[in-house]
Amino acid sequence: MTFEHCMRCTICVENCPIYKVEPRFPGPKQSGPDAQRFRLDGEKSVDEWVKYCCQCRRCQVSCPYGVEVAEIILKAQLKYGNEHLSPITAHIFANAFHFNKLGSTLAPLVNRIESWPIARGFLGMLGISGEIDLPAFSFINLERGRRRKGKGRKVVFFYGCHLGFNRPDIGRKIRDLLVSVGCRVVMPRQTCCGLPALGNGDLDIARKFAQKNAAILTKYIDRGFDVVYACTSCGLTLMRDYPGILDVPGGKKIAENTYNVYEYLLPLLQGAGEEGGLGRLDRTIAYHIPCHLRALGIGYPAARLFALIEGLTFHVLDDNCCGMAGTYGFKKRNQDASRRLGVIAAGPIRDLGVDAVVSDCGACRMQLGHFADLPALDPVEIITEAIAHRASGNEARAGGLKNLLNHLT
Amino acid sequence: MTIKTDVIIIGGGSTGCGIARDLALRGIPHYLVERGDFASGATGACHGLLHSGGRYVVKDREAARECITENAILRRIARKCVEPTGGLFIRLPGDSKRYRDEFLASCDEAGIETAILSPTKALDLVPTLNPTLEEAISVPDCSIDPFRLCMLNAYTSRHRGGGILTHHEVVEVIQEKGRCVGVKARERLTSQVKEIRGRVLINATGAWGDRVARLGGVSVPMSLSKGSLIITNHRLTNMVINRLRPPSDGDIIVPNEAVCLAGTTSIPVSNPNNLEIDPAEVDIVATQAEQMIPVFGTTRLIRAYTGVRPLLRVSARDARSISRGFKVIDHANGMFSVLGGKLTTYRLMAEKTVDAVMAHFGLKAACRTAELALEGQDELSGYPLSKQLSTMDDIVCECELVARRTVEHAINTMGTQYVGDIQHRTRLGMGPCQGGFCTYRALGIMQEIGRVSPDASITILKEFLQRRFKGIRPALWGDQLREEQLIESIYLGILNMGVRHE
Amino acid sequence: MNDSLHDVVVIGGGMSGLTAAIHLAGKGLRTALVSWGDPVCSLSTGCIDVLDIGKRPLEAMGELPEGHPYRLVGRKGIEDALKMFRDLMAEGPSPYVGTTRRNREILTPIGTFKTTCLVPRTMEASQGCRDEHLHVISFHGIRDFYPSYITSRLPNTSFSIYDAGASSTLAIATRFEEEGFVDDFCTWLSGLEIPPGRVAVPAVLGLRNPVSLMNAISARIGRDVFEIPTLPPSIPGLRLFRALKAAFQNRGGDVFWGNAISSVETRGDMVEAVTLAASGRPSRVQGRVFILATGSFVSGGLFATRDAVKEIVFGLPVDIPGPRNDWFWNDFFTGHPIEGSGIEVDSCFRPVMSGLKNLFVCGSILARSEIMKYRCGHGMALATGLKAAKMCERMLL
Repeated sequence: MTFEHCMRCTICVENCPIYKVEPRFPGPKQSGPDAQRFRLDGEKSVDEWVKYCCQCRRCQVSCPYGVEVAEIILKAQLKYGNEHLSPITAHIFANAFHFNKLGSTLAPLVNRIESWPIARGFLGMLGISGEIDLPAFSFINLERGRRRKGKGRKVVFFYGCHLGFNRPDIGRKIRDLLVSVGCRVVMPRQTCCGLPALGNGDLDIARKFAQKNAAILTKYIDRGFDVVYACTSCGLTLMRDYPGILDVPGGKKIAENTYNVYEYLLPLLQGAGEEGGLGRLDRTIAYHIPCHLRALGIGYPAARLFALIEGLTFHVLDDNCCGMAGTYGFKKRNQDASRRLGVIAAGPIRDLGVDAVVSDCGACRMQLGHFADLPALDPVEIITEAIAHRASGNEARAGGLKNLLNHLT
Repeated sequence: MTIKTDVIIIGGGSTGCGIARDLALRGIPHYLVERGDFASGATGACHGLLHSGGRYVVKDREAARECITENAILRRIARKCVEPTGGLFIRLPGDSKRYRDEFLASCDEAGIETAILSPTKALDLVPTLNPTLEEAISVPDCSIDPFRLCMLNAYTSRHRGGGILTHHEVVEVIQEKGRCVGVKARERLTSQVKEIRGRVLINATGAWGDRVARLGGVSVPMSLSKGSLIITNHRLTNMVINRLRPPSDGDIIVPNEAVCLAGTTSIPVSNPNNLEIDPAEVDIVATQAEQMIPVFGTTRLIRAYTGVRPLLRVSARDARSISRGFKVIDHANGMFSVLGGKLTTYRLMAEKTVDAVMAHFGLKAACRTAELALEGQDELSGYPLSKQLSTMDDIVCECELVARRTVEHAINTMGTQYVGDIQHRTRLGMGPCQGGFCTYRALGIMQEIGRVSPDASITILKEFLQRRFKGIRPALWGDQLREEQLIESIYLGILNMGVRHE
Repeated sequence: MNDSLHDVVVIGGGMSGLTAAIHLAGKGLRTALVSWGDPVCSLSTGCIDVLDIGKRPLEAMGELPEGHPYRLVGRKGIEDALKMFRDLMAEGPSPYVGTTRRNREILTPIGTFKTTCLVPRTMEASQGCRDEHLHVISFHGIRDFYPSYITSRLPNTSFSIYDAGASSTLAIATRFEEEGFVDDFCTWLSGLEIPPGRVAVPAVLGLRNPVSLMNAISARIGRDVFEIPTLPPSIPGLRLFRALKAAFQNRGGDVFWGNAISSVETRGDMVEAVTLAASGRPSRVQGRVFILATGSFVSGGLFATRDAVKEIVFGLPVDIPGPRNDWFWNDFFTGHPIEGSGIEVDSCFRPVMSGLKNLFVCGSILARSEIMKYRCGHGMALATGLKAAKMCERMLL
């Protein structure tokens, strides 16, 4: 009933990226608390336009009165999706996990043909946008290869689909960094966190995914493991939606024992590096904060790690949504809006003259790498590079950083 | 300037508008004169309840019978004004079982259809009910929009040659040789006085009945009592909820559009003008309503309003127990008065009044107001409310989902001169921010269309804001107090309308 | 539990909280800014009202009642704060103009003039626009701006409407920053036959570089151009908020955004930490010193029940003017008695009667600020924010 607290102040509207660029979307205030007074029990949904909300959650983060704007809209989206036939793109993206897995298995072929005009044309017919290149897939995904490593604190790494099937290299860097600070990292079989299904109007499929993961994760938690995530959208789903709208058994336990990987690493790395420093890196980067990291309410832990790196200049940018919003930007009907937002977000990045854009979220990396025309890195890449630089220099000392370095190569 | 007609109706509430429609359908030329906008008396300040008659059935069987008959008629002819919500009479622990037995028996005799529901069933229908309720009795209560009702009745009049003069106050009844032959009416905006002459005057002014009668040299003793109601931020129930006990303060909750109305109180007054709401009345109503729907104690209230019951004085008794029946009085000097009654029976009151006037004219024409559906309903959005969510284009009032074209339509076609007029016709400004944003927009649109003069626009805005505040002030705490500080920062801050400057 | 240790924890990310946080972060202190949502200054005109008594705001300070927060800060403190603000905004794309020696005016969307003190450069030419012809540009379909309000009230005015292909202030502001739009707009504008004088637009000249947009338009048509602030969503308000937040983050400050404080930990007479109700697991933010800048009712810092007022974070005592019937006058257009309610502080900006040594309070949550009555909102926030920050600094360094 949090819509009762809405003051109609329009602060949520001021923060909504979609409202700026999509005339078909009436904005978070109208879609959420305003419309909620008219959504009566037992009546069929007619609010088709709620589909334009990309669930970036910026509205909810900005509301000074505790109105759960994004949640209200999400529920309306799910109700509408439940009562009406969804377009084929919705079904595809809800089941993105399976397509990603297939893409990974057939990686050599898929990577070659995915940018061919005929393939793009086919995807276009299915409603998939041709604006951004589809990410490359990796055959040696995180399900293959080493699944357990290290000694010490017990950590389960929930790596998510993007790291799992497209960027396992980043996943391994994170794993190795954890190991280097004294963790025993396990990467069990896992499935999609469920957010793509949630964002495409399919609560049932989302719940199925979530329940599978919950069963796996709770088993580890019961054995004394902490759960860490790197993708902030997976993280938000685990922390908020598992105990919330997805209502999975063990959801609360999962939320209480799950950490953002940089949040987890912060106290561990602060100790490990000499004098609290974390190596050296002479670079200038833009750190784009994913919308879902803001929504997690934990601050920006990777930024606090960057602050420990000598020589690194980093600019925290948290005012703009990149416009990809998970699967949102990949849909043709959102192509225009997504592109405009990508250009807007890339503007300040370009103005800063940085040599790379960094973000925790794979979707942000794809979008901003494209629109800012810069290398797009995960924070772990900066951190490990800094550690490697420093330790390889003449000032490398025994223990501490050297240890880290040993584990990272 | 002089207007000549046959019948002059004074009062544009439900009775007056109903009379106008009835006369129009019977082919009698007429003019309606109302000092404010439609429904500016009790009609616009009531519960918005289309009674099944259950509230009167034990004490006044006749009145209850009238209610249920009219209830069925209005449901048929005014589909776009009446939301068929159904109603419940709920019995809480401690409420008299004897009254309940009398209630059921009386309903049976009066022809009011009832059904007894278990607490489980009742809670299924209305989950917010007090879970300790012992039983509920369903009745065919409905929610009705009184403004729309008046508007639609007036529509028929206008389209069949009647004249409607809102915002005209009758300042004098013209008498010649001891007979009432016309009125002088002053237009509020311009102060211009119009003279209207007719053969018969009908005094349908509700609580002002005696004052207007005296202008015509007669009097009608009235018993006036004030009733205050509160409005919640959203619909807490989809059915009308009544307390199954002898009628008392605060025991009705009515869903109305996207809000709930709860009330009422009964405080004797002598003057129907310049009513004030005592914050204590708000607390009384909220406390009583809380017994039926517990969340009422903490739910957000967006405003309070008050109106005067126009009851005929019989003797000094509790105003509630005076019969709600109405009377048509022929003063034998060219003036008729129709007094008492309630919104639910407005059509019947109008019928009887026009019958009396027709007899006076020696004409025979049957009343057709019950058989014909109200004209002009096609363009209105109906129920259920959630239908309105299908398009969100160009919304001017975001709280109540009022589109610009609806506002323009109201401005252009329905005799709109004030922002309040737009409100009544479209529900603009009746939501949680109480016109905080949309008033500025509505007035801007009126200016663009050329419907308001430059000098008038800021005056109108100020007057509206002042009147709005009056209704909000008694219920200002919690979320609504925050809301009000925001609205102040807009009008006093951004628009700089504060007292020290203009 | 997520745990962070900072030197200073500022609670409330509005004008006063941001000012305090920027000052302290700039002094090298580890500063956390905790905020339950965005502040209401992002809805404002973006201007800094200092005091609306007579023409000279600083000289009129003596006319304020004894307990007004400005009195606690003193004239020098107020000047320092306004200078700090001007210097900060000069770092970004929306610098401010104005002098504390004299108030100035801006044109409002209903054709009245509002007294203020410091304004964004895009509103500079609003002052004195009565003296010349004024041509107002509006946009097709915009529902939060009606030029007829202005042109019907003021003589020597006219207007034109441009189709921006968008109808909200935000969407139009976005268009203005997209390629080719401002060129098309200027071409249209220079094709109109406008009498010599000034040109005004509703405040939609983008978020990133409003001054360069304004200058570009001005250069094309050879006339002074200025913005008129609109009802919320307010672009100048958003610019103001974002510039201050960026200034804080650029000084190494940490933000914890979007969650309410669910509990406070104290030990003896010291506040130790606040806990935020973050998603799933609470976030604990520790500090050596705490600043409460959560604002008045509309900002969320105070909450009224039917018969009392609560301060929502620490539960500090708040005086009320009497029973509920005494909280508001009957007249909508005045400041009301309830607006004097707030937190009483001593000369060090510590709340009296709280017994807490490391808690400071600033901004509109202070008792007797009576912002509507004196039109002193942002000025008072800046002044008390800086002063409270300096008190903190003394305690820490």
